[in-house]
Amino acid sequence: MTMTLPYHRVNVLTGTKAARIIEDPSEYAHLIKRASRPLLVLGPRILTMSLGERLLAEYAVEIAKAADIPICATAHTQKKLLELGVQPASNYDLIEIINHLKDPEWRGVKKEGNHDLVIFLGVRTDLGEQGLSTLKHFAPHLKTMTLCKYYYPNASYSLPNFRKDEQWKEFLDKLIENLKTKEA
Amino acid sequence: MKVVEKKRTRKDEVYKVIKADDKWEPIGHTPMPEIPDLRNWDLRLLKTYKPFYAPFCDLCCFCTYGKCDLTGDKRGACGIDISAQQARIVLLACCMGMSAHGGHARHVLHYLIERLGPDYKINLGDQILVEAPHIRTVLGMKPETLGDLEKVMEYAESQLIQCVSSLHTGQEGSALDYESKALHISMLDHVVMEVADIAQIVGFGYPTSKADTPLVGLGWGAVDRTKPVILLVGHNPVTAVPIVDYLNEHGLADKVEVAGICCTALEVTRYSERAKVVGPLSRQLFFVRCGIADVIVTDEQCIRTDMPIEAAKVGSALIATSEKVCYGLEDASKKAVDEIVSDMLNHSKQVLILDPEKAAEVAVRVALGLAPKRNKVLVKPEEVPELAKGHRLCNMCSQVCPNLLPVGDAIEAAKNGNIQPLVEVFEKCIGCGKCEQECPRHVPIFKMMQAAASWEEWKIRAGRGPIMDTEIRKVGAPIVLGTIPGVIAIVGCSNFPEEIEEIAEIAEEFAKRKYIVVLSGCSAMVAGMKKDKEGKTLYEKYPPDFDAGGIVNVGSCVANAHITGAAIKIANIFATLPLRGNYEVIADYILNRVGACGLAWGAYSQKAASIATGCNRLGIPVVVGPHSSKYRRLYLSRKEEDDWTVMDGREKKLVDTQEPSPEHLITVVESKERAMVTLAKLCIRKNDTPQGRQIKLTHYIGLHKQYLGTLPDDLHLYIRRASDIPIFFKKEVTAYLEKVGWKEKPVLSLPTLIGTYPSEVPIDAVVH
Repeated sequence: MTMTLPYHRVNVLTGTKAARIIEDPSEYAHLIKRASRPLLVLGPRILTMSLGERLLAEYAVEIAKAADIPICATAHTQKKLLELGVQPASNYDLIEIINHLKDPEWRGVKKEGNHDLVIFLGVRTDLGEQGLSTLKHFAPHLKTMTLCKYYYPNASYSLPNFRKDEQWKEFLDKLIENLKTKEA
Repeated sequence: MKVVEKKRTRKDEVYKVIKADDKWEPIGHTPMPEIPDLRNWDLRLLKTYKPFYAPFCDLCCFCTYGKCDLTGDKRGACGIDISAQQARIVLLACCMGMSAHGGHARHVLHYLIERLGPDYKINLGDQILVEAPHIRTVLGMKPETLGDLEKVMEYAESQLIQCVSSLHTGQEGSALDYESKALHISMLDHVVMEVADIAQIVGFGYPTSKADTPLVGLGWGAVDRTKPVILLVGHNPVTAVPIVDYLNEHGLADKVEVAGICCTALEVTRYSERAKVVGPLSRQLFFVRCGIADVIVTDEQCIRTDMPIEAAKVGSALIATSEKVCYGLEDASKKAVDEIVSDMLNHSKQVLILDPEKAAEVAVRVALGLAPKRNKVLVKPEEVPELAKGHRLCNMCSQVCPNLLPVGDAIEAAKNGNIQPLVEVFEKCIGCGKCEQECPRHVPIFKMMQAAASWEEWKIRAGRGPIMDTEIRKVGAPIVLGTIPGVIAIVGCSNFPEEIEEIAEIAEEFAKRKYIVVLSGCSAMVAGMKKDKEGKTLYEKYPPDFDAGGIVNVGSCVANAHITGAAIKIANIFATLPLRGNYEVIADYILNRVGACGLAWGAYSQKAASIATGCNRLGIPVVVGPHSSKYRRLYLSRKEEDDWTVMDGREKKLVDTQEPSPEHLITVVESKERAMVTLAKLCIRKNDTPQGRQIKLTHYIGLHKQYLGTLPDDLHLYIRRASDIPIFFKKEVTAYLEKVGWKEKPVLSLPTLIGTYPSEVPIDAVVH
């Protein structure tokens, strides 16, 4: 078996438990839909990265709306999300939300119970990997998923390293499409 | 076992070292503490601020049982789990950091005692009577001579052995106890930093008891490359000072440039205002590869471990001067100066010289001999496309960049004549050189950066050492009452996540808001590397006083002890609490009353780990940048869930304050905007008066609205009574409080943790 390397080599895994790479947007959509209480955690790279004509933040909002997922706006992302007409359910910073997620008894951002699937988008990859490491080791009660264009070894489910942004855009477009479709 | 005779007890030994008969203050409960003595204080802190672990590696490879997989709930062959292993690595880092500062202190002390004698008096000037707040508080000793500082070192070293020994396989098994040891050794890090800087100040005659130290040249553009250039790299001034002396004694001071990178630069500019600060650690490899230095003199810490290779590449001579960094070079310490100079000039020999005066003479003579033969022409922007012509966009450079920068795209643009992306990459570059190493087509990326870098000259105020007692008298009350909203200490290395200008932006934001801004190390340098429209740097624009709106450079890494020392002095000079062996009381005072917060935005080193952890034991929270998640451990609370009960020291009763202040002891944030909001919040203390709380909340709300767009969603937790509501935001805050069903909270007369955990310290000890 060949080892998959993350795009940024500082994130190379020194361990035995690595993410499952999923390239099929319908499978990602299925995992999200299957979750009882998913959470979308957004980092500041959604404010600076664009896909085609659209800011990544706009994709984030569309994903959240498509699957009715509450948002945790980390760093200074909240301001832009408000401008886009979205009220985040929570404004914890990245490390703070991860610290809460570790606790299986935590009541979650909507006070309905802890989340069973946490989806990350727009966090810098090294910080994201560290946060995912915490959840991998200390939060066996939940699964993690990444939507950035890189492979995250410490996640439960990760995208592969997309060589071209067009591939990533196509994945996100199809993911949104799948999320909007009701499953049988 | 037969006990023959009762020997001297440890207490006897301690009292002898601290000269207990000298009754300058009553002796507290923990003079010269050992690992268990402050353990309960640590466990109390860690009850509220629980360790948060982010493993950087899932395996343990410390012993031959391994590699052991510690993923999840697995244990290693020795029985250790992933949490204890993370705490163990944190302790290891803190021991490294403390020993680096301690090694520096030892070297300086040896050098000075050899020349000045052990009885040489410590005198920090007429404005500083509390000369050593850490040594007084931790050891219970008032050091009077350089010889006394040696006793401090002996104690610190004995503790280091105990802590390092606990790292061995089959020793400590508790994460919390590893954390307690990390807090212990990091407390001592501040002690040894204090030793180092006091020794330097008195031994080398650095400025002291003054705020307006000289403004000195800053930036690689400040170095006159038409002159012979000696570049000092590292932290220790023991060779830098004799170089300046040699130049002065031989009438060469204006004929040779002395410049430094990293903390030696800050040290040498405290000794000579002619010297230049090239810049922070992140500019080391860039500047060395520019070839401007004729002679490179290395001392210790944060210097390139491949310096012999890099110096040889550009034809710079190299002299290593520290036993800690010998580089495999021949020890020429006992050779005649003429012979060494000849070897270096005629045979390009690199040498180790452990005699500082000899190293100084060699450095100057080699610089004078070598400079006329060397060509120091820099790359011009129009030459960049030619240098980049071999580039193919494989992006290997981007993939290995520890700061995740799009280096490949920038090189590609430069190849096509657009240098701007390379300028932007340079601004964020941490200077490791991995991009160039990885390039399969050998594109000279660092050479191209010569054209991308600004060659502007900036100004930095020379490091001033301790905060003066007179300044503490003036600001002690406003800080404790909250009317000066806080002290923001911007410290640490240059592993910044974004542009280096962010440090200046953050410093200015808080200076404008009338916080006291204190800087040290590489952060103090980059704070000066930005000019306003009138061409002024922060150091030219803001007063150098430890007062509201001041911007203070205390000096190098070891001068960090003066920042934490200022917090201790507030407890002593303003609140009249005795320091002597009274650590718990002082730390408790700072945690609950002194609104100080550190920012180590680019922390990378083990020294930064011990500095921050030492702040934490003393009750000072620290905010760190995203790279610092790789330190593996934070101390976090959960504001809504945790118990915020403290003791009211005057009433002697437990009070549930429901107020998470300070919310965390050390936390990572990802963006400068969030950092500013977090810093403002972490300056809130339970002791704030209503007026002080209003001021602090005005800044917290203002920054939150500015960068996050709304009122803070935890605002209700920080408003005790209606009188805490900031007038400027009264209407919207009142509406918010009504919406969330806010109720008044208890107000304490004297908040303290003493009495909430097992301790020999009586509650009355905190009443002043």
